[in-house]
Amino acid sequence: MIRRALVIFVLVVVAIPLMLAMAELPPHGSPDAPPQTHVAPYYLEHGPEEAGAENVVTAVILNYRGFDTQGEVTVIFTAMAAVVAVLVAGGAGVPAERTAAPTTTPVSLIVRFIVRVLAPFIVLFSVYVILNGHVTPGGGFQGGTILGALLIALTLIMSESDARALLPQRPERLLQAAAPLTFFAVGMTGLLLTGDYLAYPHSGPTIWIATLMLTVVEIGIGIGGAMVVATIFRTMGADR
Amino acid sequence: MTPWPPLLALLIVVPLTGAVITPVVGRTRAVRSANWSLGVMLATSVIALVLVVQVARVGPFSYVVGGWVAPYGIELRFDEFGAVIAVICLLGTLAIVFSRRYAARAMAEQRIPYYYALLLLNLTGMIGFAVTGDLFNLFVFMEILSLSGYALVAVSGEKIAEMAAFKYLIMGAISSLVILLAIGILYALTGSLNMADVTERLGGAPAAPLAVAFGALTLGFMVKAAAFPLHIWLPDAHAIAPSPVSAILSGLVVKVGIIGMLRVYQIAYGSGAVDMTALNTVLMWLGALSIVMGAFFAVFQDDIKMMLAYSTISNIGYIIMGLGLASSYGMIGASVHVFNHAIIKATLFLGAGALIFQTGKRTLTDLAGVGHAMPWTVAAISVGAISIVGIPPTAGFVCKWYIALGAVQAGHPFFAFALVFGALFIFIYYIRMVNAFYFRQPRDPAILEVTEAPASMLVPVLILASLCLIMGVMGSVPLSFIEPAVQRLLLPLGGG
Repeated sequence: MIRRALVIFVLVVVAIPLMLAMAELPPHGSPDAPPQTHVAPYYLEHGPEEAGAENVVTAVILNYRGFDTQGEVTVIFTAMAAVVAVLVAGGAGVPAERTAAPTTTPVSLIVRFIVRVLAPFIVLFSVYVILNGHVTPGGGFQGGTILGALLIALTLIMSESDARALLPQRPERLLQAAAPLTFFAVGMTGLLLTGDYLAYPHSGPTIWIATLMLTVVEIGIGIGGAMVVATIFRTMGADR
Repeated sequence: MTPWPPLLALLIVVPLTGAVITPVVGRTRAVRSANWSLGVMLATSVIALVLVVQVARVGPFSYVVGGWVAPYGIELRFDEFGAVIAVICLLGTLAIVFSRRYAARAMAEQRIPYYYALLLLNLTGMIGFAVTGDLFNLFVFMEILSLSGYALVAVSGEKIAEMAAFKYLIMGAISSLVILLAIGILYALTGSLNMADVTERLGGAPAAPLAVAFGALTLGFMVKAAAFPLHIWLPDAHAIAPSPVSAILSGLVVKVGIIGMLRVYQIAYGSGAVDMTALNTVLMWLGALSIVMGAFFAVFQDDIKMMLAYSTISNIGYIIMGLGLASSYGMIGASVHVFNHAIIKATLFLGAGALIFQTGKRTLTDLAGVGHAMPWTVAAISVGAISIVGIPPTAGFVCKWYIALGAVQAGHPFFAFALVFGALFIFIYYIRMVNAFYFRQPRDPAILEVTEAPASMLVPVLILASLCLIMGVMGSVPLSFIEPAVQRLLLPLGGG
């Protein structure tokens, strides 16, 4: 009881200054608010012609602030490396070779059938989302998640050996790092082409090179994202 | 000669890419990942060295990634505070060398490539954090280093490792969230994420959101720095982690909170929009409390790594107090202590790691008499202990002397007293440690049969111990190096 009262007290004490502060912020969405008048108009005005992406969101996350996104994909990779490092082969000895599928209960026929039927369409959709990234506010992250979800669904209905064949051992670790590696490759290409790291040719007749580089990055993020999602799922389900 | 401008970006992307390749390199044989990460860190160190020399010669410089101009693209800015990357590279390299034998015994073979990958990611996160000039970019690198930090604590596989890592994760996630909130408020007020740009545009902003933003930033960074009462995650995490990781966490990762705080000051003082007096008073008290409480808890520890972990809280207290004093001496002392404490604490943690590795024991009671069996390691630890107490002519003395001067300069002699009082406490428990190693009867005579640590462990420890002495003798070099940055920082306050 006292504990609950204390929690409520702390919440109120924290909430009051926060609400006061929020009340004094420039109104959200107002055309006069600094977020709408300072950096953003530049992106809106120049983004479509100089950033190589028709969509301004994509232009910002992959071009203007691409370095942040390189950091973000590394955060995702770090999360995966953390899961693998902590869960793989616990402190005591090496685990027995895994033979059974990660699930304990057999998967019903209906689930098997539906996943198999849907799989090609899911792949198609994810490829569409990834490749269409530079004209829509989506791209590698979303498409990669869709692909990753498919990999997870397939892992569930397949035997362990088949699922293993799905994610081949040799390039597996390379594919897991696909997103940061693609960023590095594209960044270095930019360095060679323009003299600046992660720079794309700005505007002019060579703008298609920028679009091509952005698409490569989207594909890298997509593959890497899918592999990371699937790897985390497989690693966490490995003991069960 | 001016170095090639993109070098500042390469400083980050070289280890970043090196880290994600590490598991690929170590797929068939784990030892390859050790060699690879050492190579990556050495390459990074070369870049870092070029940049530090540059900043010493011409002062701060910046580079905007992607060929855009500053508020639109992401600006990396390298100033004297950023020179902490030199220490990050040094400790990172030595920790990787030290890990070679350590990891092979402490963890399963399959974990090792990921261990090195996480270690590199952690170091890269800190490097990026130290040199970025963009608030959101700062947050991204903070996440890389925090996430890898949590995992590195859990990776040791010891019994309470998961629990310690989980506690660390919860506190870390809350502090990250609080910092993100503050960044959001600053963006809402200025429409920009570039630190220099935010500084310029902050004038005339309403007071309440500003107060919440700077309060939140301070709170978040104080959790990262483990100031007393926000330290509760630190002792277990730092004591349980593998010893090379402890050295990195205690020596460097807590300093992220301090570097973050320095960036907060740069924005606050530079813009003149925020009155930091109240926050500074809080910081001074937090610092004084941390010094005394950290030392107090350390006295009662028998576990050597636990004791070192509490000692980190004390030392962070010195730094926080130096910052809060907002006087030039205090600020200089605090900034240099960021460097010096990193070296000293790494000496102690790696030394302790070598002792534990050779003897399998980790309490002072069990380790009694080990000084006769492992003379070099224990000598290095003793040098570290003398340094951390702050006895001249070692590295710890200059900083504490400056912070004490700063307290007097700022008109708070009481805090100078707290500092001396804390140093006395610290003296007691380190004397206890050195006494146990050299003069107490061994509890188990078998400890005298233990051999000296292998070269891959002993050499890093000895290098660090000699640096403790060198930094003490040449104490004026870092002081005069950091001085222009502090003067620039305090200029809006009217000199300082």
